[in-house]
Amino acid sequence: MPSPIPTSRGQEFWTGVRQELPLQLGVAPFGLVFGVLGMASGLSALQTILLSSILFGGASQVVFAQLWGAGVPAPVVGASVSVVNLRHALYSASIAPYLRSLPLRWRIPLAYLLTDEAYAVTIHRLKTQPASPFQHYHLLGTGLTLWICWQITTITGVVFGATIPETLSLGFAIPLTFIALVAPAIRRRADLAACATAALISIVGQPLPWKSWIILAAIGGIAVGYIVKRWTSPGDSA
Amino acid sequence: MIWLVMIACGLLTFATRFVMFSGLAPRRLPDWLEDALGFVPIAVLTAIIVPAVITGPEGTLFIAGNSRLPAAVIAVSVALLTRSVLATIATGLAALWCLEWFVY
Repeated sequence: MPSPIPTSRGQEFWTGVRQELPLQLGVAPFGLVFGVLGMASGLSALQTILLSSILFGGASQVVFAQLWGAGVPAPVVGASVSVVNLRHALYSASIAPYLRSLPLRWRIPLAYLLTDEAYAVTIHRLKTQPASPFQHYHLLGTGLTLWICWQITTITGVVFGATIPETLSLGFAIPLTFIALVAPAIRRRADLAACATAALISIVGQPLPWKSWIILAAIGGIAVGYIVKRWTSPGDSA
Repeated sequence: MIWLVMIACGLLTFATRFVMFSGLAPRRLPDWLEDALGFVPIAVLTAIIVPAVITGPEGTLFIAGNSRLPAAVIAVSVALLTRSVLATIATGLAALWCLEWFVY
């Protein structure tokens, strides 16, 4: 049975909020762990908390904290964070046709709120439900839900981080979170090639200065994935 | 200094999210760029996961007696089976604690 067409601002917004809530089961532990780890890697409480609203992207915040904590020069930090967040240009491109006609006062906050999980939920609504003049309220709902959850869990992690014993190895939750995202995403041979290349470079590149293996492994993985994709399906350009 | 870098990184991040909304960029990304960007999450996250699992404090390879390695393998299986972030974190951490306290 098709769901009823949301016709008002409130309906779109609350539908977004409701559909985004279940995903917070994955977002909340990540936010908590980031709060704990930001402090552990040498950021102050305020820096850790504000990073969650200034960057508002989990993986890039982890990279920022790790690199800054290791005394990496600012340009390398900036370049690494940018590579991590490049994927957002894809979301931006995919969702832009639905939002392009909005005034700037809408496009700026909606771009700021555009994260993996908010994008995933809202693009599904935009593609499967009838268009509505208020459909951007859906992205406001998903984006704001994630934003609030991310801020609350970061602050909670910062506050309780000091009381968590080192022996619990909570830092391991970061690679575990990423394993949960990457493992199911490897579907094609090209994905596997990108993953294997990034893994290899990240190991052999360990002696390099400034943890530059992060950015090299990322670029290497992207390049090899792209080449393998072109090579395995030459006619398929989409 | 750190605040400047944080804000610069924040602006760069915002720019990648805003670029296609801006009206200045072409209406759609070229195919090759779209293809390449599709590999960003896998490449970037793998580059964070692998050293966090198999290197020691000084960036040296750490295999024998490393309880993070089997815990990560278990986490990969759980991730593939459940696709749940929470289940993957819970099982991976539980596996790590069991291995550290009872095996190694």
